Amino acid sequence: MLAIARKEFLHIIHDPRSLMIIFAMPIIQLAMFGYALDMEIKNVDLAVINYDNSIQSQHLVEQFEGSEFFNIFAYNGSTDDMEQLFLERKAKAVLIINHDFAQSFHRNISTPVQIIIDAADPNAGTLIKNYCSQVIIAFNQKYASRPTLPLEVESTIWFNPDLKSAFFFVPGLLALLLIMICALLTSITITREKEMGTMEQILVSPVKANEIIIGKVLPYIGISILVGALILVIGIILFGVPFNGSYTLLFLLSTLYIITALSLGLMISTIASTQQVAMMIALIATLLPTMFLSGFIFPLSAMPKILQIISHIVPAKYYLMIVRGVLIKGNTFFQLMEPTLILVLMTFLLLIIALRRFKGNLES
Amino acid sequence: MNEAITVKTNQLTRRFGKFVAVDQVSIEVYQKEIFGFLGANGAGKTTMIRMLCGLLKPSDGNGTVAGLDIKTQSEIIKQNIGYMSQKFSLYEDLTISENIEFYGGVYGLSREKIEQKKDELFKQLRLNEYAKKYTRDLPLGIRQRLALGSALLHDPPIIFLDEPTSGVDPKARRGFWDLIYQTAESGKTVFVTTHYMDEAEYCHRISIMQQGKLIALDSPAHLREKYQKKSMQDVFISLVKTEVGGN
Amino acid sequence: MQQIYYIIRKEFKQIFRTREMIAIIFIAPLIQMLVLGFAITNEVKHVKLIISDRDDSFISREIIMGFQNTDRFDFLGYLNSNQGLKDAIQGWKAQMAIVIPTGFSHDLQRNLRPEIQLIVDGVDGNTAGVALGYAQGIISQFSQNYLNHPRKRINFKKVHWAQQEERMWYNVNLDTAQHMVPGIVVVLITIISMMLSAMNIVREKELGTLEQLMVTPIRKHQLLLGKLIPFLFLTFVELAIVMKVAQLIFSIRMEGSLFLLFGLAFLFLFTTLGLGIFVSTITQSQQQAMFVSWFIMVFMLLMSGLFIPIENMPLLLKKLTYLNPMRYIMYIMRDIFQKGSSIQYLAKDVLPMTFYGLVIFIFGVLKFQKRVN
Repeated sequence: MLAIARKEFLHIIHDPRSLMIIFAMPIIQLAMFGYALDMEIKNVDLAVINYDNSIQSQHLVEQFEGSEFFNIFAYNGSTDDMEQLFLERKAKAVLIINHDFAQSFHRNISTPVQIIIDAADPNAGTLIKNYCSQVIIAFNQKYASRPTLPLEVESTIWFNPDLKSAFFFVPGLLALLLIMICALLTSITITREKEMGTMEQILVSPVKANEIIIGKVLPYIGISILVGALILVIGIILFGVPFNGSYTLLFLLSTLYIITALSLGLMISTIASTQQVAMMIALIATLLPTMFLSGFIFPLSAMPKILQIISHIVPAKYYLMIVRGVLIKGNTFFQLMEPTLILVLMTFLLLIIALRRFKGNLES
Repeated sequence: MNEAITVKTNQLTRRFGKFVAVDQVSIEVYQKEIFGFLGANGAGKTTMIRMLCGLLKPSDGNGTVAGLDIKTQSEIIKQNIGYMSQKFSLYEDLTISENIEFYGGVYGLSREKIEQKKDELFKQLRLNEYAKKYTRDLPLGIRQRLALGSALLHDPPIIFLDEPTSGVDPKARRGFWDLIYQTAESGKTVFVTTHYMDEAEYCHRISIMQQGKLIALDSPAHLREKYQKKSMQDVFISLVKTEVGGN
Repeated sequence: MQQIYYIIRKEFKQIFRTREMIAIIFIAPLIQMLVLGFAITNEVKHVKLIISDRDDSFISREIIMGFQNTDRFDFLGYLNSNQGLKDAIQGWKAQMAIVIPTGFSHDLQRNLRPEIQLIVDGVDGNTAGVALGYAQGIISQFSQNYLNHPRKRINFKKVHWAQQEERMWYNVNLDTAQHMVPGIVVVLITIISMMLSAMNIVREKELGTLEQLMVTPIRKHQLLLGKLIPFLFLTFVELAIVMKVAQLIFSIRMEGSLFLLFGLAFLFLFTTLGLGIFVSTITQSQQQAMFVSWFIMVFMLLMSGLFIPIENMPLLLKKLTYLNPMRYIMYIMRDIFQKGSSIQYLAKDVLPMTFYGLVIFIFGVLKFQKRVN
């Protein structure tokens, strides 16, 4: 069994390209998303068309100027050709102050302030709308004759007060990486042996089928533990991801996930006849669902029902909950029982199917 | 021989990093000659052919094919040679007709010429029963001949055959060599590599390569005489022993 | 010239005889479009919400109704103890909690500015922020209604304030798909024109037929054109199909000129086809070709503004995106689809994209040799 493991290890070393890509990708993503994925926009270009030029209007403009959200500039054109600003991407929003702004402000209870927002990206659009309203609320608190807010709202963010995206991301990368190594690579390598016919040679040797599988899979487990630890360390040191829960718990449950992933890889290898096919199936069964249907980046709750249903059979979804739970929320085992049990169930099913098919393949 | 020299090399060498695949090989090949390259796998035969065909640049030395320099005029050389690779490179998912039409078109033959050649090949190789089949469904012997035919579509004066009989049964091999003889008789130079010792007997002259070096070059008859052996196989074995022993 | 024609003919025959190719070219993109189109959303809906209503008044119930009437929140129920709230959020049962303190309506009517507390699970930073925004929006809507109530107006007679009226242009329904689908289109055409073209060339390398072609007098440009033109054509076919599907399923509106779109996509293809050639020169097997082109593509995607808006990136990365042709086509696609933009505004993207594309293409062609290595 160890001999098989060693041979497998050598195979891996000799094909550095595939390996490099599997590692390099998550690491680059980690670097980029870790730094870049703060969905907060700053310095939104805001053009001002001020038909009034009264002191009040200037106060309003100053309020926007003072805000860190906006990068404000005056636009000398008229509202008829302001679309140019959007088409040339010079501004993401336009503030229009009517010529009777000051007048109306003194006379009427409420005076409209028009803001045209480029909502092609609806998220950005919504954020800009919210920023604007914050600025206007601040303006009102200063210059309106009485505070307009009859109440106050206090927001508390638990577990991640600075809303750092890395907290969200690092666990996801961990889940992605582990499943890519343990499912994708193992399925390819087992299929490769099948394809090249070397599988028979090993099978004829006195080694048992179980030992063959374990031997093949051992180096990948080693690599995934190493790389997983690396990602965690980088996340913690570089991005300040906390570790609020128990080390043992994370290690144990990660091992569970690794076994789930391996079972998946094994099962794929029993279905695929060639490496090409194994690769295709593995990608569809591991990469796509883990990236998009596990809650890694995109929240599941907003997706159509059918995708949500599919997400129930994506192992990464449960592992993500586990990792985020242990690292960020400091969950106990008790609180993570549900995802743990589901992973155990999945592993069980996958292993049974895989082993049965494997023995079946041998017979034929 | 009184024929013209069609292929000539002078100290031709090719290195891959530290490994020397072809080591200072000098040969002269004549028109209408069947010139064989014999040697074990990895001896350098395929590398030699690739250099002559313009598929690899030599590291050292020089050579000419049809009077053209292999280093600087390789593209023109390609117009004057035919090549049949070890894998009989035909497109498996095309039919015979389609393969012939394709290569004919690639070599710039007119449509009439292609049709004419196609008819010839079909007759010569009795391919009619396979007309609708994909190449991958043809028996190996037929594919082999088809590959040769495709290499000759544009009537090149020199053809290079790299292990043209690998994997083919002995009867088909002999039939194939009949074709090679016909080709040489018609005025072409045939350059063949093989690791089958008995095929060496069929060549006009044979060169033996080992570890990139040329260790013998002569007609089979002369070689057998020189080394006092009954067959090329024995000649080869004794030569290899000598080389190894001598080192 | 006729050589190119012969190669193109052969390529098409081979492509249509391979079942996998047909699946990859026609079926896979549809599936990808469907899954990605629906999955890639930053919208936040069905946020699990529990409320601690310690006031239990007419007013507090009015506020709560605001949260029940929207699909952005899934109201789970009431819970009064602080510890209970903490356990619920920590135990993954709820994502957000609202606490309305005792005496809230009383203080409100006395203008004492009582405080509502919002507690949100910060694990998913993005959702947390957006959910907070929604919650604040609902509460502020309540505030406005409260202030605009006729009885209240008397108290606020001398009040005036500025009221925001926003117009959302180009995407009135704030539909994420309108913004993402054009981007997905870019992904799909990149896969065909880069990954498949690379794999196709490498396949001949693997089989040995490429060597056979290299021995013929065919010129390098004829060989490459013959190999690439079919994929160029197929890319446009796929583009047309995918756009039709996008229109039917996601109701994507195309505001701009189809002609312009196709024309500019063509210029983008210099980049992808060039990369396809390049990848074929550095890989030996189809699997490697697939991995390497996948890697390159993901890298380009991350820097293209598809998932992360370029405006959000730190300065260094932002500057780097200027070197990425995909950044430009992303803007171009989205602007044509959503804004109906025309060439005069897009020129500043078209020029660098074409320039870099040509550079990449020429580089790829130069690297490709009619030799074996």
